[in-house]
Amino acid sequence: MTGALEPGKNAPVPEPLVAARGLTRVYRVGPSEVRALDGVDLEIARGEFLTVVGVSGSGKSTLLHLLGGLDTPTAGSVTVEGRELGTLSSHERALYRRRTVGFVFQSFHLVPSLTAAGNVELALTLQGVFGGERARRAAEALARVGLERRTGHRPGQLSGGEQQRVALARALVHRPPLLLADEPTGNLDRLTAAEVMDLIVSLPRELGTTVVLVTHDEETARAHADRVLRLRDGRPEAAA
Amino acid sequence: MRAWELVRLALSGVRRTPLRVGLTALGIAIASGALASMVAFALGFQEQMEAPLRKLELLNRIQVKAKTRLPTREGPGEQPPPEGFPALDDAALKRFTAIPGVTAAFPEMRMANLEISRGPENRRVRAIGVPPELGGFGYIQNLLSAGRFFTPGAGHQVILGSKLVRDLKLASQEAALGEKLKLRSQGLTPGQPASFRFEDKELEVTVVGIFEPPGFLFNMAGDMILLPLDLMRELPGSRFQFAIERLKEGETGAEGYEQVVVRVATPSEVPRVEKAIKEMGYRTNTLWDDVQEMRAWFLLLRVLLTAVGTVALVVAGLGIINTMLMAVLERTREIGVMKALGATDGDVRVLFLAEAGLVGLLGGLGGLLLGRSVSWVLELGVNRYAREMGIGQHLAVFDFPGWLLAGAVLFAIVVAIGSGVYPASRAARVDPIRALRSE
Repeated sequence: MTGALEPGKNAPVPEPLVAARGLTRVYRVGPSEVRALDGVDLEIARGEFLTVVGVSGSGKSTLLHLLGGLDTPTAGSVTVEGRELGTLSSHERALYRRRTVGFVFQSFHLVPSLTAAGNVELALTLQGVFGGERARRAAEALARVGLERRTGHRPGQLSGGEQQRVALARALVHRPPLLLADEPTGNLDRLTAAEVMDLIVSLPRELGTTVVLVTHDEETARAHADRVLRLRDGRPEAAA
Repeated sequence: MRAWELVRLALSGVRRTPLRVGLTALGIAIASGALASMVAFALGFQEQMEAPLRKLELLNRIQVKAKTRLPTREGPGEQPPPEGFPALDDAALKRFTAIPGVTAAFPEMRMANLEISRGPENRRVRAIGVPPELGGFGYIQNLLSAGRFFTPGAGHQVILGSKLVRDLKLASQEAALGEKLKLRSQGLTPGQPASFRFEDKELEVTVVGIFEPPGFLFNMAGDMILLPLDLMRELPGSRFQFAIERLKEGETGAEGYEQVVVRVATPSEVPRVEKAIKEMGYRTNTLWDDVQEMRAWFLLLRVLLTAVGTVALVVAGLGIINTMLMAVLERTREIGVMKALGATDGDVRVLFLAEAGLVGLLGGLGGLLLGRSVSWVLELGVNRYAREMGIGQHLAVFDFPGWLLAGAVLFAIVVAIGSGVYPASRAARVDPIRALRSE
């Protein structure tokens, strides 16, 4: 599987942020095996906007979990900023997520008991940022997604688009090198989806953040991506 | 994470389900309040027993009697050595005083059946005869609630127990001072060897002071009188024991004191001094052994009540386990979010332990409030009942020392955190991928 890539040939000049070799993830469901991801080779350059498309069950989310250090590969390796994630302990992977990754999910996943500001501050708390500094940075991040007037609202008082913008602010407030977005507009109507998508494209560009966006919306994928990775049954199809 | 941030996060966690957390904390509060109150009751009870003894320095006291061939209340008679039992006389007092640690040795007499009267009012009383020189002792002054102690050579004086002030229809303790009362006594008085006569004697005594026994001793000794030793010796029946021995045994030795009291500086010296006096050939009697036995019982009572309280607290701890497991279940997604944001398993575990600890703190503090208010009400009731039963003193039934308050809260926190261990490890093991899966 890994032999498919020949070293030296096609080597990018700057070191890629993400490098996956023969990335494989097998789930055991009862007696049978499901190969969710099957020998994926992938390099993502710094600042690149990569879109991963494919039908449900094609392995998109699994790839995102592996890149985000939420899951460990069954075989193969994934290296981010020179660190091989498969060799990290669960504790080290948590620290990797804390420093390197920002997540945006389809169903927003805000903490319902916290305000918009509280949700953003939660991420900063984990970074070890407290007090006035934390409040200032959270307010700044919310202003960047256009929610400066909504900081005191709880998720229940926000529309879906607003919730996802809070989630985006939370994911980027500590300026991680890598933003991982899993169907971020999947729960939004077309108009709101377009607004949120604009932010997901423009904000990382300002901050120099590398983005991996998982979607099944081909149109969105083509409109914004530097590159599209098409997955089918856990294997990449020809890249567009 | 900083400690304060942890507390803040834990607070925001427990504030989400105020009713559930409140009820769980109430369980802890009831248990820890009951635990603290029960121990406070044991402590207060013990204090009720011991404080009067301490105030009168009764634990520093050794009663000494001469040995006798005749059986007594304290035990059977003994066979005397060839030279006879040592006498309990002034020479013996000197020897007792010479023992290191002894602060005083003086004779004491007791009589059971005197009659004291004021006009038509009269009472049968017990009396203690003591030397007037005792007035110099602090505990004697503690005992007096009005007037003064005996003045040597000032005629026939009496000090009344405060209960008698009412019984004899005297207006007040102060009004009783200087009052002339009739003291009547009947009994055998030894005459020449092997003879004695019956006497019935009445004399006038002047009230010079009132004494008030503290605590539970009030009921035992509040209606006694104190007489100067010399006066008591003149009363018929005061030398009854001596008369009986003469009659039965035909003893001819000099008459010693019926009983001598030896006082030591501190209670802990009692066993050593008592042993020395025993070795001199006397019978002794102290409260020390009784008190040690009593303390052992109180310790047992405390252990028992603590155990019962601990059971209650552990049951309340099950409530915490239940509440925390529900919280983990409800907040699985949130735990997943925290992990995605980079919280380690340890962070999640500590957070949930902190929440459990917070519930424990809440319950512990509530328990103090609850325990103290309930025992306050109980104490009020007990004292009301006691007043109706004619007990004048205020009874402090519960005793809450600082260590008990702090200990109860700490114990509640420890039990709560202990109960949080399993739910917290469940929370720490939450798989973020499963938790964050969209439905």
